[in-house]
Amino acid sequence: MTARRSIQAVLAMVVAAIALAPLVLPGDSGLHLVNLILIWSIFAVGFDLVFGIAGMLSFGHAAMFGTGAYALTLLTTRMGWDFLPALGAAGILGGLLALVFSFFAMRAAGLFFALLTLALAQLIYILAGSKLRDLTGGVDGLGGVPRPDLFGVDFYDDGNFYFFLLGMFVLALAVAGVLRLSPFGQALRAVKANDVRAEQIGFNVQRLRQAVFAVSGIYAGISGALLASLIFYVSPQMLHWTTSGDVVIMVLLGGMGTLFGPILGVALFEVLREGLSTVTPYWYGILGLVFILCTIFMPHGLAGLAQQLRQRFGAGGRR
Amino acid sequence: MSTIVIGLSMGLLLFLLAAGLTLIFGMLRVINFAHGSLYMLGAYISYQVVQLTGSFWIGLAIAPVVAAAIGALMERLALRPVYDRDHVYQLLLTFGFILVIEEGVRIFWGLDYKQVSPPALLSQPVELFGSSVPSYRLFIIGFGALVSASLFVMLDRTRYGMVIRAASGDPDMVRTLGISVSRIRTAVFAIGAGLAALGGVVAAPLLPIELGMGFSVIIDCFIVVIVGGLGNIRGAVLAALLIGMTRAIGYTYAPSWVDFLTFLLLIATLILRPEGLFSRKGRTA
Repeated sequence: MTARRSIQAVLAMVVAAIALAPLVLPGDSGLHLVNLILIWSIFAVGFDLVFGIAGMLSFGHAAMFGTGAYALTLLTTRMGWDFLPALGAAGILGGLLALVFSFFAMRAAGLFFALLTLALAQLIYILAGSKLRDLTGGVDGLGGVPRPDLFGVDFYDDGNFYFFLLGMFVLALAVAGVLRLSPFGQALRAVKANDVRAEQIGFNVQRLRQAVFAVSGIYAGISGALLASLIFYVSPQMLHWTTSGDVVIMVLLGGMGTLFGPILGVALFEVLREGLSTVTPYWYGILGLVFILCTIFMPHGLAGLAQQLRQRFGAGGRR
Repeated sequence: MSTIVIGLSMGLLLFLLAAGLTLIFGMLRVINFAHGSLYMLGAYISYQVVQLTGSFWIGLAIAPVVAAAIGALMERLALRPVYDRDHVYQLLLTFGFILVIEEGVRIFWGLDYKQVSPPALLSQPVELFGSSVPSYRLFIIGFGALVSASLFVMLDRTRYGMVIRAASGDPDMVRTLGISVSRIRTAVFAIGAGLAALGGVVAAPLLPIELGMGFSVIIDCFIVVIVGGLGNIRGAVLAALLIGMTRAIGYTYAPSWVDFLTFLLLIATLILRPEGLFSRKGRTA
């Protein structure tokens, strides 16, 4: 147990080092990168509650992510809402949409759940690109997404906005950490391990799954809204299935079912995106290769790798 | 009349794809996300062959072979090591292949739309019951029916089909009988990939060949597979025809609602019969 705890501590320190890097290292590109990592981490941590804890693979989280982004944009620019209430509304809408998704998608189990979430998300994508063009600006998207207006701080400065994102990130991480340890989180692990047995013990399996799906929808909605705010722009690309795929890749690269793993995955993904896309236009294909190799050889991701190394070379040595 | 022809041709085209998907699922319990990418690859190979040789028919022969070889490699190198793990990993692997195949296509053929014209033999419309229909559509119907029929004969009447059905049902038992299940798995994956590419070649003259084509078709395939019943290949035939007809009728009367009609069908199925409209208990592959 102590070995596991020390790995946890190492991972936490790595995550803290990434999140706090802008405090020591000046530079605009690094700052932008960390801001992106913080936002995507909120998304990934929420996604892992569904994927890593409850064992449900969703390929439709882009729908909640994009819906949150559009909700924030429309509420602030068209309805004149303040940033924070609009951000809350983005989260709530993401959660509600997730509930609707779970209502349909949970009629099928296992892999077909993944297909259904994908199909439903695609429906939202088509809606936003065509039918709701007046609202969403169609494929052109919408610009002019605002940033928060609090305490007289100029959040339009990326350096200041970083602190806002850091706060949201810590909050999201804390809530997820509590949820994982709570009876709710334990029940979800039971469902993942053996849903029939969990049902027999007396858990309402469907209700539990729906609840965690909705929670991750809230995470997705908020992170989507924050991304729109960071880049001042929202487009149907955020609803696209590649966005759903990206978050799956991130979580798997980092280590599903761990608290800090997904964040490492996000960091690796974003660094790869930044690093490779300047060197080669084919970075997404290379990412695919990396992803395939990691799926085969490193099923527990970066976080699991630490554990594997520890087992092999660590002080323990004994199996 | 032309609505029926278009609907049938779309339905049979969808079935070519859904059949591969269903076969692979029945045998390997893997949902091949990259199926649409193989379909796209088939279309691009067809384009390339037409550019080089000027013949549509050579492409029709070559593309499935190439895709089957790629499929066999995918199964052998990537999927085989992870069969023991949770099915999610296999799904994720095939997702990784989408990225790689799409990137490969982008490197070879670039981002521009490509166009393949139907073979000269089939470029003229023909009269059918008093209305004029494109002969290429009729070819798709005939060809699709032929391929589907041979697939069923192969599965139901031949020794290979028997082994595949047996291995889908109980791989361990088949293995004890001295048959290499892993070889069957590779073969089935290759056949599925070949069918996808065949669909791509057949579809190539109908639509612009572009990078996104694989994904738009895979969603339709998933809908077919779910509506037809999971892993149920006979259900897939009916579901493919149903969706093909729905789309064709939709295009005629309410073009902007076509996608919604398809999704409506999916959602109605899920509410009424989550196990699939055409599935009977205990019937697979």
